[in-house]
Amino acid sequence: MKVSIEWLKDYVEVDASTEELVDVFPMLGMEVEGVEGGGPADMDKVVVGEVLTRNRHPEADRLSVCTVNVGEGQPEANIVCGASNFQPGDRVLVALPGAKLPGGFKIKKSKLRGVTSEGMMCSAKELNLGEDHDGLLILAHRPEVGLPIKEAFADTDVTFDLELTANRGDCLSHLGVARELAAHYSRKIQFPELKSDAQTVSEPSTDNLLRKVSIESENCKLYLAWTIKGLKIGPSPEWMKRRLEAVGLRPINNVVDVTNYVLMETGNPLHAFDAKKICGNEIRVRNATEGEAIKTLDEVDRKLDESMMVIADAEKPLVVAGVMGSLDAGVDENTTDIVLEAAWFSPGNIRATARKLNLSTDSSYRFVRDVDPQLTRYSARRAIDLILETAGGELVPEEIKVGDPPRGDRTIEIAPDFVRSTCGYEVTNEQLANAWSRLGFTIEKGERWKVLVPSFRAEVDRPIDLVEEFVRIHGTTEIPEARVVCEAVSRHDAAQFTFSEKAVDALVGLGFRECCHYSLRDGKEIEAWADQATVDALTLANPLTAEHTHLRSSLLPGLLETLAHNQRNHNDLRRVFESGRVLRPGPKGTTELQSVAFAILTKPIAREWDTELAPDFHEAKLIANRLLAATGIIMPKGGLRSLEGSSAWQQGHVASAGDVHQNRVELTVGFCKLSLSRDKGVNGPVLACELLVDPVMLRQKVKPVKFRSFGSFPPALKDLALVVDENVPAEDVRLAVETAAVQAADKKFVVDPVTIFDVFEGTGLGEGKKSVACAIRFRSDERTLEDKDVNAAFDETQRILAETTDYALRS
Amino acid sequence: MEEQLQAILAETESALAAVEARFQLDQVKAIILGGNGKLTALMKGIASVAKEERPAFGQAVNKTKKQIENLLAQTASILDNAEDAAALGKTADVSLPPSGNYVGGLHPLTQVKRRITSIFRQIGFTVAEATEVETEWFCFDALNTPEDHPARDEQDTLYFPKASRFGNVSKKSDEAYVLRTHTSSVQIRTMLKEKPPIRVIAPGRCFRRDTVDATHSANFHQVEGLYVDTKVTIRDLKAVLDHLLRELFGKEVKTRLRPSFFPFTEPSFEVDLFSSNLGRLSNKWIEIMGCGMVDPKVFDNVGIDPEEWSGFAFGLGIERVAMMLHGIDDIRHFYQNDLRFLSQF
Repeated sequence: MKVSIEWLKDYVEVDASTEELVDVFPMLGMEVEGVEGGGPADMDKVVVGEVLTRNRHPEADRLSVCTVNVGEGQPEANIVCGASNFQPGDRVLVALPGAKLPGGFKIKKSKLRGVTSEGMMCSAKELNLGEDHDGLLILAHRPEVGLPIKEAFADTDVTFDLELTANRGDCLSHLGVARELAAHYSRKIQFPELKSDAQTVSEPSTDNLLRKVSIESENCKLYLAWTIKGLKIGPSPEWMKRRLEAVGLRPINNVVDVTNYVLMETGNPLHAFDAKKICGNEIRVRNATEGEAIKTLDEVDRKLDESMMVIADAEKPLVVAGVMGSLDAGVDENTTDIVLEAAWFSPGNIRATARKLNLSTDSSYRFVRDVDPQLTRYSARRAIDLILETAGGELVPEEIKVGDPPRGDRTIEIAPDFVRSTCGYEVTNEQLANAWSRLGFTIEKGERWKVLVPSFRAEVDRPIDLVEEFVRIHGTTEIPEARVVCEAVSRHDAAQFTFSEKAVDALVGLGFRECCHYSLRDGKEIEAWADQATVDALTLANPLTAEHTHLRSSLLPGLLETLAHNQRNHNDLRRVFESGRVLRPGPKGTTELQSVAFAILTKPIAREWDTELAPDFHEAKLIANRLLAATGIIMPKGGLRSLEGSSAWQQGHVASAGDVHQNRVELTVGFCKLSLSRDKGVNGPVLACELLVDPVMLRQKVKPVKFRSFGSFPPALKDLALVVDENVPAEDVRLAVETAAVQAADKKFVVDPVTIFDVFEGTGLGEGKKSVACAIRFRSDERTLEDKDVNAAFDETQRILAETTDYALRS
Repeated sequence: MEEQLQAILAETESALAAVEARFQLDQVKAIILGGNGKLTALMKGIASVAKEERPAFGQAVNKTKKQIENLLAQTASILDNAEDAAALGKTADVSLPPSGNYVGGLHPLTQVKRRITSIFRQIGFTVAEATEVETEWFCFDALNTPEDHPARDEQDTLYFPKASRFGNVSKKSDEAYVLRTHTSSVQIRTMLKEKPPIRVIAPGRCFRRDTVDATHSANFHQVEGLYVDTKVTIRDLKAVLDHLLRELFGKEVKTRLRPSFFPFTEPSFEVDLFSSNLGRLSNKWIEIMGCGMVDPKVFDNVGIDPEEWSGFAFGLGIERVAMMLHGIDDIRHFYQNDLRFLSQF
């Protein structure tokens, strides 16, 4: 909101400089967004001059040689000038030798093409008074010759653009801001005196142009109406136009300008109707009917609904209450009689209406912030005074009043100790009383104080609000410094946070760069990487842009974009990862999951003297295993299995374990679908891994591990090679061997995990066959195993395998 | 006898001196200690030694045998070392880069997040988490920002369609799901779950319906803080935030609490920072974070008695701190992940 300092001075004595106010406003809770005006800066030796003669330069067509009067008693200055927009008799600003212009340019007596020049006539830009550099700044208001620049302009008003917080509706006016300055500087506030008066009635008399006023909506608590007859619409006086323009309003006509002026003065929106346009001489404050239409002043046809309130006549809505009037019922140049409205509308209702209509006006902005209902009458009477003054006419001496102000001043009880215990520093009763009374609060002391808060401070209604007001006016700089002293709290970091930190550290240690991508994605991408169900579940109701319509279901698309971006820019970035949240639809609804994903470029752009081995599936699997180990996540039962029919991954080169909805953990490792990585602009296949974890799982309490002793006797080793169909997973073979060996050992001794030490495909095995060789280690905690035990167990293992599988022993 | 032993020893030594490979060592061993070896032959001669001289003879032979065995072991060890060294190959050019010469690294946002969390750990804060998908009640109503509150206009919120269903984001009633606009919702979920005293920070991702430009991002990160205990004061709030900002930006920074407004704190403040060491932002007051005393209505909403407990809350933007600390001028750098950016931190 823009405030004019000159205007503020009508209500409060302010002698502070602009610089001081720039610091004062923020510490009162009003941020300064900008400062304008204030006239030119003071510059030594820059004065008003009058051009006496202008002749062409003898040596240069584009230059002229002028004589300039620069003040009484001063010799005429001879000045060479390149501009052409002036005539003898014009008054301009002259920088005399010794002057220093903005930007540091110094004026000296000099010769220009052989002619002496004793100074410079200036453009607006040269003096920082505007952007115009095309010609001299002609002073049309003809200030006295010889005046210093600082005094050459009458209008030195400064406007501040203040940003107010949502709770300070009371400051949305000059009087409101003046009140704050008055409190800060301990000054009195001066309201303009009212001249006109009227008798309050609930039913208009026969003199009145209105026949009836009624409130039919619960969202209007107070409605006041006055009528003025026989006024003349015309332009507003200059002083009013200037003030309105200073705060960014366009003058329209005297009546409309007055309502705007009072809006900016008291913060109370008013509305003036052309009385002749009110059908049936009746005003009804009612809810709109469903689908009711109105063309508002901004020339937009609007459809209303039953939740919206209108000011209507006997036939039609005239105004969307608190928001904007209709084009048809407005005051125009032919208006002679007006009805002036001042009312109090429920903030919530106006807010909802303004939002639905997507229309925020100076009025709605203030009504939404709870206008002071006690100020309604004052504001209207102030407007009447100004209308009578600027447009003439005669007031029908009746104030039609329906309803009552919904709130007034209120008393808050507070113990001074409550303030002290909240502040935590020394606060005397005098300081308390001083701060509150400067704000216009009235104090009745006692064991508990009774503080009377005026109605304009709607939001101050609890003891804690009084504390806030005290701290604000007393000054936050009074809060003393202190050391932090605190007792320990028995609490650990959230498990999800710890998990993510461990994952991040593990992958950084493995040579991966951590990345960060937007969570908002394009629906088309989700469709390509996931499925329609995911697209449907992750859609936003009100996306801002077409690229940000959905939440991410995976971290991988972002990682691929990063690989592609860096590849395009010839940055040697090969391994990237992200840890973050993703959403996945599931049987119980969409679930927010913690995900860690990494991606590896298999065709790096960098050329190296010793080429790195191209990473393959098993390298990604190894990194995935290390990631699980580092984060303490247990691989879902069954381990990694070939994944079929995935839209995101390359068939035949990807494996997954678990299902996040069933097991709370899901791991997928392999190559991203080649067409997708190509779509993202990555050159070469991308090897990736995605880990999904339901945070619920992380929160499970882990019991301390119980130590199990182990023996010191050497194991007995046995190797076994089996010939199987080439498409049988090696893990199946290994698991079969392990199961058989455990069964064969029959709990008499233990079997270490069986390992695969060779896989062979080739001659001698037969078409479509491969050999998987496994190492078995039998071990006892009590003794060194004897050959006969081991051989018996090994024979038994083979027997079981022959019985339970169709794997052939490799001979 | 003694001469014979010395001769065998000398022969062994000279034979070993010529050994260059394992098989030669084995040959020497066979010649001296083998079944028909020279020392073995000498030992066999014990039968012809007079009975009383046999112990001395035996001792002398054994002593020599030990010496020979030691010599053989020494040579074996020399051979092992030479073999191991040969296996290593040529001398390395230590100046060459390794193949795959890349290293991992933390994203600058993670680094700043860790700095902040580590500062708070010094004073007993631990990390709390909640979901990024929230409901209107947790994001607004519980934080004393009801539907018709003007503050709700200022937060341009991204909503999910009314029919959306989330499995692990609890609702209060049938309010809409949103993307959290601030991490303050973590305050609510934490206070509903845990009993005071509470001292938590919550770093996390937030969302605003903003057009992306140099200073705005569709998502960004905040660190929320909440401190609830008996007798928590405004002075405590200032002490904790001064501690944070001095640890982050240096001991010489000045701070001020500028009165402001948030629906969920009362009184509320913006914290401004003044430093001579912030590049373009030096020597002027810079807004850095919001804070305030927890509003009693918020305590009421989560079932904590405001008569017994008091507290403060604060929130600061991680991107903002990172940009100030490192002089980064465009927030989009954080999300573009250009290696030339990432590798600077």
